[in-house]
Amino acid sequence: MEVEYLPEDGPRVPDQRAERLLGALVCTVVALLLALIATVFFRAWPSFAHNGLAWFGAGGNVDEQINQIYLSGLGGSEGYVYTFHAWQLLWSTFLITGGAVLLALFSSLFVAVFLVEFAPEWMSNVLAPVVRFLASVPSVIYGLLGVLVIVPFIGNHLVTEPQKASVAGVISLSGYSLLAGVLILTVMIAPLMTSIFSDGIRSVRPGWLEGSLALGVNRWRTTWKIAVRTARPAIVAGTVLATARAIGEAVMLAMVSGSVAFAPNPADGLIFIFEPSRPLAPTIVKNIDLLGSKPANSTLFAIAAVLLLSAATFSLAGWAARRSMSKYGATA
Amino acid sequence: MRRKTFAITAIALLGLVVPASAGAKTIIGSGSVAMQPVLQALFAQYTKQTHGKVKFVYTANGGNAGVKDVQNGTSQFAGNARTPLPSDAGTTYIKMFLDGLCIDVNPKNKLGNITIQQVHDIYRGLITNWNQVPGSGLETTIDPVGRDTNGGTYNFFLQAVLNNELPSSNVNALTSDGLVANAVKQDPNAIGYDGLAWQGKGQKALKVNGVPCQSSKISVEPLKYPLSRYLFLVVPNSGVSPALQKFIDWARTSPEAAPTILKAGGVPAFNKKAKK
Repeated sequence: MEVEYLPEDGPRVPDQRAERLLGALVCTVVALLLALIATVFFRAWPSFAHNGLAWFGAGGNVDEQINQIYLSGLGGSEGYVYTFHAWQLLWSTFLITGGAVLLALFSSLFVAVFLVEFAPEWMSNVLAPVVRFLASVPSVIYGLLGVLVIVPFIGNHLVTEPQKASVAGVISLSGYSLLAGVLILTVMIAPLMTSIFSDGIRSVRPGWLEGSLALGVNRWRTTWKIAVRTARPAIVAGTVLATARAIGEAVMLAMVSGSVAFAPNPADGLIFIFEPSRPLAPTIVKNIDLLGSKPANSTLFAIAAVLLLSAATFSLAGWAARRSMSKYGATA
Repeated sequence: MRRKTFAITAIALLGLVVPASAGAKTIIGSGSVAMQPVLQALFAQYTKQTHGKVKFVYTANGGNAGVKDVQNGTSQFAGNARTPLPSDAGTTYIKMFLDGLCIDVNPKNKLGNITIQQVHDIYRGLITNWNQVPGSGLETTIDPVGRDTNGGTYNFFLQAVLNNELPSSNVNALTSDGLVANAVKQDPNAIGYDGLAWQGKGQKALKVNGVPCQSSKISVEPLKYPLSRYLFLVVPNSGVSPALQKFIDWARTSPEAAPTILKAGGVPAFNKKAKK
C-alpha cells in the first residue's frame, strides 16, 4: 500500500527551503568577503610591486613620500611615483596597539576575577551590564573625550617646557601623543576583554573550584591556579579580539595620537610617550582625499591590505592557541 | 495572509515616497567644512522663504571630497574653499561669497599683529619659540596646529602662506576647522588658522600685516586683508537643476541673503544693496 506523505500539488521539498535560503545567504557573504579581499590586494599590488620588502622598511618621511606619490598621480601614468617606506606607521601601530593591549590585559584580568569570584552579587549584577555597555560605545565618543580632556591635560600639565624645547622644530609635544592614544585605546578595549574574560571564568566547572577549596587551598590561590588557568582559552580569545579592534581603530586615534608620521624612540627616555605618532589606520582616514590620484590610491589600499592581513593573522593565531589549550578545560 | 503583508508593505513604502516627491524638492550637496556655517544659514533662510518647497542636505566631508561627489554624481553641488585644480575636470566653480582665513592664538598670548612671513616661518619650522616673535610675551615653544590634506582650507593656506611648500613636521594637522579652534582654545602656546565663521570665544584672531581679520576689511578689489579668499560652489558642467540655479542666484545676488551671510561669518561679495 502506498502512503501519500505530501499533497499532490504541494512543493516537492518543503523542508529544505529554509536550508537552501540560508545556505545561499552564507555563500553570498563568503563571496563578498573574498571579493573584498581580492579588490584590496588587486588595488594595492602596484605599491607592493614597486617597493618590494622595502615597503615595510624605514627610510625617509612617510608624509613627504605620500605627498610625492599624490602629486605624481596628477600627471601622466609614466611619471607615477610609488616609493613608500611605512616603518614609522608600522612602529606606531605596534607601540600603540601593544601598549594598550598590555595595559588592558592586566587590568581586565583583575577586574574579571573580582567580578566573578569576589564581588558581592548585587555589585556584579550592576557591573556586568555596565561593562557590556562600555564595550559598545562608539569610538568617536572616546575620541572627543580625548580631544577635550586628556590631550589638553597632557599638553598643559605633564609635558614640561625643556622637553618641548629639546625637540622644537621637529615635532611638537602639545598633548597629541602616544600616551593619549594608548590610554584611550586601553579604556576602549578593556571592557571588551573584561566581558569575555568573565564569561570564561564563570564557565569553569564549580566542582573543580570546590575540590580545590575542599583541599584547604585558599580562595585567592584557587581562583588564580584553577579558575584563571582553566579560562585561558577565553583569555586568549578576548585578547585577540581586542587586538584586532585596536589595530583597526582609526577615528579615535586620528583625533588624539597626533597627525605626524613619526616613530617615537624609546631611547629618547620618558619623553617618548609624549611624542606624536600616527598608526596605519588613521593614515588612511587622514589622506582619504588623495584617493583620486592613482598611485596614492594604490598606496592607501596597500595600507588597508596590511591591516586586513594582520587582522586575519591574529584571528588565526588566536584560533590555534585556543585549540591547543582547550583540552585543559573550559572553552571560550 | 501573505497578500495582506504585501499590501501593508506597499502602503508603507508609498508613505515614504509620496511626501518627498509631492511636497518638497531636496537638493543634495557636500564639501567644504569651512563653508558649512554660512551655507547652513543660507539653506535655512531659503527653505523658510520658499515655505519648505526646497530643502537641502549638506554633508561637510571636505572640499576635495565634495568635488569628487559632484564628479561622480552623488552630489548636485559642492562647497569648496580653494580655487580650481586640474583634477576638478567636468565641474564649474561659482564664486559665492568672501571669507578671511584668520590666524588665531590663545587669549593668553599678548601678540596682536603677525606678518605673513612670520606665519610662514612658524609653519615651516624655522621659528619654534614664541620669544622669536616680538610682542607675544611668551617664552615657550610654539605648538602650531593646522588642517590635514582633506580640505580647501589647507590648500588655501599652502598657496597663500607657505608658497606651496609642505608644512613642517611639528605642525599638528587636525581633521576639521572645529578641532583647530578647539586646540587653540585649550593650549596657551598654540597658533592655528581657520575661517571667519569659526572666530569666537576662546581664540584670538591676529592682525595680519596690520589688517584685522574682520568682515569689514575683507573685500573683492583690492583684497585688503591679505588672507581673503572666495568660497565657491562647485556644480557639474552637465547642468544644474532649475531649483538649484534659483538658490544660487538668490544667495549670490539678492539683498536678503547678504545679512545672513554676514551673520554666519562670511562676507557678501555680489549681493545688491537693499533698497532703502
